Amino acid sequence: MSELSAPDIDARAQRKNRLFELVSVLGVWALVMLLFASGCVISPKFLTARNLMSAAQAVSLLGIVCMGLAFVTYSRHYVDLSIPGIMALSGAMAISALPYGFAASLAVGMATGLAIGLVNGLVVGYLRLNPIIWTLAMVSVLAGLIRWAYGGLQVYPDEATAAGRAFLNLYHVKLVSLADGRIELPLIVGLLAVLAAAAHVVMRWTSYGAQLKLTGSAYEVARLTGVNVRRVVATAFVVSAATSALAGILLTSFNKVAAFYIGRGYDFEAITAVVLGGMALAGGRGSIAGVIGGVVAVALLNNVLSLVKVDDFVIGEFAKRVIQGCVFIVVVGLHSWALRRTGMDDA
Amino acid sequence: MSELGLALSMEQISKRFPGTLAVDGVDFSVYAGEVHALIGENGAGKSTLMKILAGSFNDYSGTIRINDRPVDLHTPAAAKAYGIQMIHQELSLAPPLSLAENLLAGRLPRKWGFVLDRKAMHAESRRWLERVGLDLDGDTIVEDISQHEAQLVEIAKALANHPCILVMDEPTSALSRQEVQRLFEIIRRLRRQGLAIVYISHHLDEVLEIADRVTVLRDGRKVATHEIRDVSASQLVELMVGRSVSALYAERSTRPAEVRLEVRRASRYGFFHDVSFKLRGGEILGVGGLSGSGRSELARSLCGIDPLEEGAVLLDGRDITPADYRQSIAAGMVYLSEDRKSQGLALRMSVAENVLSSVIPRQSRTGFYSARSGRSLVRALVGSLEIHPADPARMASTLSGGNQQKALLAKWLATKPEVLILDEPTRGVDVAAKVVIHQAIAALADAGKCVLLISSDLPELVGLSDRVMILRQGKRIGQIDRERCSEAAVLLAANGEGEFVQS
Ligand SMILES: Nc1ncnc2c1ncn2[C@@H]1O[C@H](COP(=O)(O)OP(=O)(O)OP(=O)(O)O)[C@@H](O)[C@H]1O
Ligand SMILES: [Mg+2]
Repeated sequence: MSELSAPDIDARAQRKNRLFELVSVLGVWALVMLLFASGCVISPKFLTARNLMSAAQAVSLLGIVCMGLAFVTYSRHYVDLSIPGIMALSGAMAISALPYGFAASLAVGMATGLAIGLVNGLVVGYLRLNPIIWTLAMVSVLAGLIRWAYGGLQVYPDEATAAGRAFLNLYHVKLVSLADGRIELPLIVGLLAVLAAAAHVVMRWTSYGAQLKLTGSAYEVARLTGVNVRRVVATAFVVSAATSALAGILLTSFNKVAAFYIGRGYDFEAITAVVLGGMALAGGRGSIAGVIGGVVAVALLNNVLSLVKVDDFVIGEFAKRVIQGCVFIVVVGLHSWALRRTGMDDA
Repeated sequence: MSELGLALSMEQISKRFPGTLAVDGVDFSVYAGEVHALIGENGAGKSTLMKILAGSFNDYSGTIRINDRPVDLHTPAAAKAYGIQMIHQELSLAPPLSLAENLLAGRLPRKWGFVLDRKAMHAESRRWLERVGLDLDGDTIVEDISQHEAQLVEIAKALANHPCILVMDEPTSALSRQEVQRLFEIIRRLRRQGLAIVYISHHLDEVLEIADRVTVLRDGRKVATHEIRDVSASQLVELMVGRSVSALYAERSTRPAEVRLEVRRASRYGFFHDVSFKLRGGEILGVGGLSGSGRSELARSLCGIDPLEEGAVLLDGRDITPADYRQSIAAGMVYLSEDRKSQGLALRMSVAENVLSSVIPRQSRTGFYSARSGRSLVRALVGSLEIHPADPARMASTLSGGNQQKALLAKWLATKPEVLILDEPTRGVDVAAKVVIHQAIAALADAGKCVLLISSDLPELVGLSDRVMILRQGKRIGQIDRERCSEAAVLLAANGEGEFVQS
């Protein structure tokens, strides 16, 4: 059937698989380069330390969310739409717990997220409700909950206390500061790096990662291979909620206020970044390295758009939404097309 | 047959996959009113050649003529428009839909131009189901029917589209003898109506019975085309394999050993009732019975995939009655599913990942897991089962059907099971590969493990089993030991008759 010898076939098939992964990862980083270059051309403000620093922090916040969401997408459960609700409620709860100290505040914020994640996990993983419908309902419940609990009020941390100041400073903490503060490594960037490394290791080198991949690739097969599919899926939602809670606390610290609208838009940006980074909605494919690329691309796109001015009018906010929507559609379309072309999709 | 002229002629057809020339300059033609069998080893290119005809690829080379007109078959729609229907090797019904929706997909009957005409839908689907001898309701959901029923529905679906050229890729792999005979009657009727039929099968007796001509493929090339009356089964085997295959079922020396597996009064009401049996170490126990006799259901319940409502399973005297499949795997009892596509292999993952998937839970004592550590195990299994191509990094979906089946066996052998339950282990596997799989099963038994073998392939069931237990309508009605076991005896007993049935 082949004029090639067996080792040849070996090598070629392997190369093809690798190539496919490489192209999707390289592709997104090429896009990052392109955005970077256009940023430099469009506005002189782009290549300033100040702008790049704020871009890096925005990248990190989105990135932290994506590190968790990636698990949900990888498990073929598409997306966790309750991300904005988790971010808002965790932030609000963290502020509410500030009177008991800074550590308590962080713990309560994270616990809130984990609790919501556990509910999501139980309902989607164990009761097998549709993840999109359920998390959509969840986000609306959460938004209602915050409004009910805090009224129309916005909740501020008390700057008079040490805990309050620590909380407000959280977003701005620098791990390293060199050359009189001209080169700095914000805590939040460091957090992303740690989370990314952890996510990568879990997906590639742990038994959980292997089970997640099998579940995402073929749920029924995984079940009949003895994988505890329910727990695997539930865990993915808990991880997603945990990173969302962390991002929510950080964002609340940055905004200096908790409100129900905090975190709005992160659901869509995050899923765009994840898919742009080569993690297919079809499940079981892609890598954390790719997702990081997707995150940087989305954050840069936002940053560049916010610098574009037409007649003194910042078109950013409007264009941002439209362009993000288009990017998402194009990427998802390209993805399915490429998979079908290379015969990688059995559907 | 030839007076009706050529319905289909394929000339110098080639199709290349990355790294493989799957079909290499093949000439193939079918007359109207002819059944043309296509045979060859696993991976010979049979399915690929026929998928070209069904419009699955837009990059084949060569010329295809239908009724002497050259045509381009680059899309499935184009192929359908020329009246080509294909029954795929891997079943392709949409599970959440009803039979009627599957059967009449794309042309559901309507009232007033837009409303679904449920009554007409019901009546029409019923008619087609009856054609293939199925007494099922059109509203039945695909998920609720069994493999052999699904295969018949698949055939009904093709017929419902009124084809001129009908391709059947291993249509009988899940069918019982009676169903095969019924299918043959349908085929003969279609042949009289002037259809051109391509019949792919690994069962040479079927080919010799139903076909008018036969074409043999090997390594993507055509070896020969013969009138069926000019060839014998052994000649066909030689043409396929390039050598003669001997000693299909080697004698195994069964040493008496301790009882290892004991099943006590197992019931799942509505499926099987009060089934008890014992299995010695090193023994292969065949399970015979008609389709629908509860064989698969029994197997699935024994290892916890489906509930076991009553009864107990003991291994080496220890109660291992599983609450779910995970427990059963942990206890060393595994089940090779009859449905490799949706329950057996993750087709988008590599062969190595699939093989190792069954041992992830075991390797995970530390929580860390690396596919690398299993590499030598995979190599050994790919080698000993002669999976072709022997490349563990290959995506499972790019293997031919028979090689996928071997990969599935490798996946369960990797767990080093104490009890291996096999449900149709050689479905879609060629003659030579069958020998390899049988040797692997025998080797497992010789190592003192227990094997429970469910197979509709009677020669296999009789040749491989040390004992055959007969199920009928969910009840164990008798057993036949090796000395007196024959295909006829099994068949008779499965129908509830003969000396081996205990009242
Ligand atoms: N999508 C694909 N990508 C790469 N190689 C493929 C693909 N599909 C099939 N092949 C290869 O083409 C060859 C022919 O496969 P094909 O499925 O036609 O075999 P077959 O004769 O139908 O075998 P079987 O009896 O096992 O069903 C095999 O070597 C197979 O590995
Ligand atoms: Mg085939």
